[in-house]
Amino acid sequence: MKLSRFAALAVSLTALVGLAGCSSTPAPTSETIVIGSQAYYSNEIIAETYAQVLEDAGYTVERQFSLGQRDVYIPALEAGEIDLFPEYTGNLLQFFDPAATQTAADDVYKALGSALPAGLTALAMSPATDQDSYNVTKEFADANSLVSIKDLAKITGLKLGGAPELAERPYGPTGLLSLYGVTVEFQATGDTTVDSLVAGMVDMANVYSADPRIKQLGLVTLSDPLGLFLASNVVPIASDVVNADARALIDKVSAAMSAADLVAMNVRSVDEKLSASVIAQEWLVSKGLLKK
Amino acid sequence: MFSIPDLAAWFADPVHWDGRYGLWFLLLEHIAITLAALLLAAVVALPLGLAIGHTGSGEFLVIGLGSISRAVPTMGLLFALVLLWGVQLRDFSLLVALAAIAIPPLLAGAYAGVTTIPWGIRDSAKAQGMTGFQRIRYVEFPLATSSMIGGMRIAFIQVVSTVVLAPLVGLGGLGFGIVQGLALRNYSQVVASSLVIIVITIVGSQLLGWLQQRTGDRLDPPHPLEKK
Amino acid sequence: MEWFFANASFVAGLALTHLSIVIVPLVLGSILAIVGARLVRARWVPGTTTVLSAVYAIPSLALFVALPALIGTPFIGPTNVMIALTVYAMASMYFSARDAFSQVPPSTKTTATALGMSPLQLFVHVELPMAIPGLISGLRVVSASTVSMAAIGAVVGVRNLGYLFLDGFQRRIPEEIGTGLVAVFVIAMAFDLGLWLLGRALTPWRTRGGQRV
Repeated sequence: MKLSRFAALAVSLTALVGLAGCSSTPAPTSETIVIGSQAYYSNEIIAETYAQVLEDAGYTVERQFSLGQRDVYIPALEAGEIDLFPEYTGNLLQFFDPAATQTAADDVYKALGSALPAGLTALAMSPATDQDSYNVTKEFADANSLVSIKDLAKITGLKLGGAPELAERPYGPTGLLSLYGVTVEFQATGDTTVDSLVAGMVDMANVYSADPRIKQLGLVTLSDPLGLFLASNVVPIASDVVNADARALIDKVSAAMSAADLVAMNVRSVDEKLSASVIAQEWLVSKGLLKK
Repeated sequence: MFSIPDLAAWFADPVHWDGRYGLWFLLLEHIAITLAALLLAAVVALPLGLAIGHTGSGEFLVIGLGSISRAVPTMGLLFALVLLWGVQLRDFSLLVALAAIAIPPLLAGAYAGVTTIPWGIRDSAKAQGMTGFQRIRYVEFPLATSSMIGGMRIAFIQVVSTVVLAPLVGLGGLGFGIVQGLALRNYSQVVASSLVIIVITIVGSQLLGWLQQRTGDRLDPPHPLEKK
Repeated sequence: MEWFFANASFVAGLALTHLSIVIVPLVLGSILAIVGARLVRARWVPGTTTVLSAVYAIPSLALFVALPALIGTPFIGPTNVMIALTVYAMASMYFSARDAFSQVPPSTKTTATALGMSPLQLFVHVELPMAIPGLISGLRVVSASTVSMAAIGAVVGVRNLGYLFLDGFQRRIPEEIGTGLVAVFVIAMAFDLGLWLLGRALTPWRTRGGQRV
C-alpha cells in the first residue's frame, strides 16, 4: 500500500481545506469601518453623516444602526465589533465614571478622554449638544412660577416621566432628591414621554434638548444651576481602526454641526418624515462637505 | 455578566419587590392585564364561535381570522393603535392588541367544541322541540366548555408572554424588568422577570388544563363505580 | 402612502433582512421538531412536553437579550434572534408534528413493516406522506408566528421590518408603522399561502376525484 502517497494526499487536502476556510472568513481591511448608532433617530442622522463622508472619501463603511442602549453597544465598541460611534460627552462620562463632578463642556470632554478605556478615543467634540433635560408644560410652569429645577422643591406629589432606565440614572429621582431636594414619583413612559407630559399624565419629563417638540409644543426647560446634568456635546468615539485621515474627515463634520443644525435636522426628520440618509446627505451638501 | 448566585441575590433583595416597579406590583399588573385582555377576547370570540358552530356557516372565519391574526405583528399593532387613539387610551390599545392574539384560539376552541358534538345529540335536542337558543344554552355550550377552556389555555399562554411589550408604550407588567434590564444590562433582572413570567404561564396553563379535563367528560361521564 | 414610495428601497432592504432572519430558523426548527417528534421515546414524552412548553413560555424579548450572556454569542448581529426563533419554531412545531404522526393509523405502519420496509423507508414513504396535512397546517401556524415574532428583534438592534415600528413610533409617523404592518402581513400570508399550495401539491391523492384513500 502506497502509504506515503496516501498520507501526502491527505495532508495536502487538509491544507487546502484549511486555506479555503481561512480565506472564506474575510479579514477586515484597514478601510472597513463599522459605524453604529443608538436606537434614536437623531443619533442615526449623525451616524449617517459620518458614514457618507467616509464613503465619499473611498472608505468601506458598514452600518450597524439602532443598537439600543449604551449598556449594550459599549461592550461591542470595546470588543472591536464597532469602530465609530456618535456619542454625547456628559452621558458617556457618567457611564464610565458615575462619580464624575465636571459639568462644563470642556471639563467634561477632558475627563471623558481619560475615562475612556484603552483602544477608544474621543475625537474632536462638536458644538452641537443634545442632553437630558427636565421639562414641564408652559401652564404648569406659569401656575407654579417655575424657572429652575430648584423651584420644584416646594411642590409635593410630583410625577416624573422618562425611559425605564431613568429610575437608576444618577440624574434621575435619586439625583433630584440629593442635589435639589425634589421628591418625585417615577413613571416609566418610554417613547410616550412627551405625549404623557402634554396630556398631564406626568408633571415633568426628561426630554432630550434637541427634540423639536420642546419648541413645537411650547415646553419649558427648567434650568440646572447646580449641575445635575453634565454638558453633553456630540462627540465621535473611534477605535484604532479609524486612521488619522478618516479622523480628520470626521472632525470636519463635527466642527460644521452647530446646535441649531442638529435641531433643524431633527425637525426635518419628524415633520418632513425624511429618512436619516436623505437628511444627512442634504446637510453635508449644504455645508460643502459632500459634492453632489 | 450573569451568574446563578447573582440571580439568587437579586431575588433576595427586598428592594426589588417593593414599590410601583417592584416584582409584586408588576406581577399583579401583568396578571390583571392578561385577564382583562382574555375577557375582552372571550366576549367577542366565544359567542361568535358558538354561533358559527351552531349554524354551520362562516367556518372560513375561524381559519381565516386565525391566519390573519398570527400574521399581524403585535408590537406594530400596539404602536399603531397608541398613535391612532392617543396616549391617554394606551391601556385600551394594549388590551385590543392583546385580544387580537387571543381571539383566534378562543374562536377555534368554541367552534371545535360545538362541531365535535355528535350529530345525534344535537339532532335529538332539535327533535325534542328546543329552540336554537335553548340548544346552545342547554346542549352545545355545556358540551363545548372543555374545548373552549382548551382554547383559553392556548390564548393565555400567548397573551402572558406578549404583555412583555407593554413597557414600550409606557405601561407596566413584568416586561418592565426585561426592558429596563436590557437598557441597564442587568441580566439578573431580565432573567428574574422572565422566570416569574414562565412560572405564571406554567401555573396558569396547568390550572386551565385541569379545568379542561374536569369539564371534558360531560359527553361520556364515567360511571360512579368505574375506576378513574 | 407617499412615505412608502419615498422610502421604498429602504423598506425593501429591511424586508430582505427580515426574510433572511426567518428562513433558517423555520427550516431548521421544523426539521428538528419533525425528527424529534418522531424519534422521541415514549417514556420521554411527558418530560419533553413540559420542557418545550416551558421554553415556549419564555418571552421572546427576554431570550433575545439573555442569549449573549448565557451562551456568549456576539452582542451585535442577528445571531441571537435567529437562535431564539429556531428554538420557538422547534417548540411550536414539535406539538403539531407529534399530533400529525399520531394520526397515522398503526395498522398502516404494521402493514408496511410486514411488507418488508425498513424503519427509514417506513418513515419516508408512509409516515411522512400521511402526516403531511397535519405537518403543513403546523408549519403554516409556525411560519406566520415566526415572521411576526422576528419583528421584535428590532428592539435588540436587528435591522428588520420591526425597525419601522420603533422608528415610526419614536418619530410619530403613522405611515411608517402602517408600512411595516403591511409588509410583515404580506410576507406572513405569502408563507401561509405557499405552504398551503405545497401541501396540496404533496398530497395529490386528497384532491383527486373518486376514491379517497
